[in-house]
Amino acid sequence: MANETKFSEQESLQLIAEMIKKAKGSYHDTGIGSLLWGGVVSIASLMNFLQRTYDFKLWFDIWWLVLAAIIPQVYISIKEKKIQKAKQYDDDLVNSVWLVFGISLFAMGFYQNIVPFQTEKLIAEEGWTLMKHFSDGRPDEVIRPFTPSLYSIYILFYAFPTMVTGLVKKFNPMKYGAIITYGLFLLSLFTESRFDMLLGSIAALVCWFIPGIILRRKYLAQTRSNV
Amino acid sequence: MFKELDPILHSQLRLAIMSLLISVKEAEFTFIREKTNATAGNLSVQVQKLKDAGYIEVIKQFKDNYPQTTCKVTPIGLKAFEDYVKALQQYLKV
Repeated sequence: MANETKFSEQESLQLIAEMIKKAKGSYHDTGIGSLLWGGVVSIASLMNFLQRTYDFKLWFDIWWLVLAAIIPQVYISIKEKKIQKAKQYDDDLVNSVWLVFGISLFAMGFYQNIVPFQTEKLIAEEGWTLMKHFSDGRPDEVIRPFTPSLYSIYILFYAFPTMVTGLVKKFNPMKYGAIITYGLFLLSLFTESRFDMLLGSIAALVCWFIPGIILRRKYLAQTRSNV
Repeated sequence: MFKELDPILHSQLRLAIMSLLISVKEAEFTFIREKTNATAGNLSVQVQKLKDAGYIEVIKQFKDNYPQTTCKVTPIGLKAFEDYVKALQQYLKV
């Protein structure tokens, strides 16, 4: 491009439009993060559903897989930062939303594990207990307090950052994924918790895994065109 | 009466650099070179002119033991670019 070439006003406007288009079209998420989380959460939820449906247990808690996915995610984030040559205005916003989402999910995990135990302790101190009473005459059973259908809240959580990202980045697959997930959340209100796991597995697929495939394809196509 | 076009911006490569930087928060020198197809030497000169005018900020640092130059538009640059586009619109009666 010539540096001091004089050019017409019309050409100036064309150049501005062309450069803005080039800058906007220069960025595509690699899609690896979406594929990773979509895959891991979907597998963990599906496995949980299968374990409860067919009454078997793995030698480890399947949700540890989700926790372990943080390690490759850190590696992916560092690698992506290295290859990123331009920073978009909305990058910080989207990254912050996902960070807050991650923190909230872990906080939910603590809530899920601590509250039943604490509630049991508190009601024991008050001198009463929760019992399951069968109407068919079977003997009563003591039960630990629990939050019914908690995975519905997780499904609702999955939709939130996905919708924000879809709206900010104008990326329809994530918008549609989030809308479907809101529908799955509503459906999960009427299903027993084991089926909520199955719905959660579908939510992870539509929110992250499928958009991840689309992002990956776009990214690879763009990389090839740059060669 | 027509407003005179800013001579700093009314140059093909400098306008291309500014238009790219307006669209992103910040960009590496290599990114600008890729998008403008300019030579490194030519681009350096024009980046320096924009920097001297106060239109862009140039940050030089090391990343993985390699020098890295990052550019971003300053508020003065943003105002100049807006004024330039307004002047163009006047000329073209857009």
